[in-house]
Amino acid sequence: MSDFFERLRTDAAPLRFEPDGAMMSRIAARVRERISQPTVAQLIAAWFRPLAASLAAVAILASVGLVFASDNSSSDDQQQFASSNYEISMAGSDLSVGN
Amino acid sequence: MDDPLEARAVSLVKSGDTAAYDYLVSKYLKRVVSVAWGIVRNAHDAEDLAQEAFVKAFRNIERFRSDEPCGPWIFRIVSNLSLDVIKHIKRVHHEELTDVQPAARRDVADLGAQSNEIASRVDAAIESLPEMQRIVARLHLVEQFEHAEIAAMTGLSDGTVRSHLSHARRKLKEQLADLYGDSHE
Repeated sequence: MSDFFERLRTDAAPLRFEPDGAMMSRIAARVRERISQPTVAQLIAAWFRPLAASLAAVAILASVGLVFASDNSSSDDQQQFASSNYEISMAGSDLSVGN
Repeated sequence: MDDPLEARAVSLVKSGDTAAYDYLVSKYLKRVVSVAWGIVRNAHDAEDLAQEAFVKAFRNIERFRSDEPCGPWIFRIVSNLSLDVIKHIKRVHHEELTDVQPAARRDVADLGAQSNEIASRVDAAIESLPEMQRIVARLHLVEQFEHAEIAAMTGLSDGTVRSHLSHARRKLKEQLADLYGDSHE
């Protein structure tokens, strides 16, 4: 870099903006306040996490209930089938199956 | 990283300790405000931009590598935010910024009358440059950043930064010939 630019750099250094104490305190306080507040995404996550957990619990309970109901239903059919009388006619004879 | 306290503060912030961020804010605050002011030339905007830059850096600290100094990263954020503000103002007003406030210099009282006059002349000469030359020249001459740092901060290529500085040097030398007449290239 040229000698001119080096001298200019030395003379320009005092031109740097120096914030006063009040401005620095204000910025630091506002930054502190803002970073301690949750972001929109964090707020949404905080709301949706319990909701999602509740929905998942309901879905699991519903699945278990459906499986249980389905099992009960098939065993009832078998009982009903077993307790019924069936009559079969064959070669002029009537045959009875069941109780 | 040269500063072990800074590395410690970064890892604490990453692990959720927001109070540790105070160290990084206090370490870089003056410089960040100065960089913003150098671009937007308005103390109120510089204050808002510095605040925004620190909040943005905090929100993205997970992406930051702990073994590197925070400074260049935060300076890059504040430079980008400041350049966005300039673009927005230009888009809205279709005119150059003219509302320039004099810098509140820390050592203005310490400067002799002659030094003060030289600083004022240099300030006016830098301000008379076209926008990107002015920004690059100010970052180099006043904020004392090197070419590569300015390129990283502004998103310009190293060659473009050098080109802006070269044009700025020629114009500044013409304007300040009476002050630096005996300087040689």
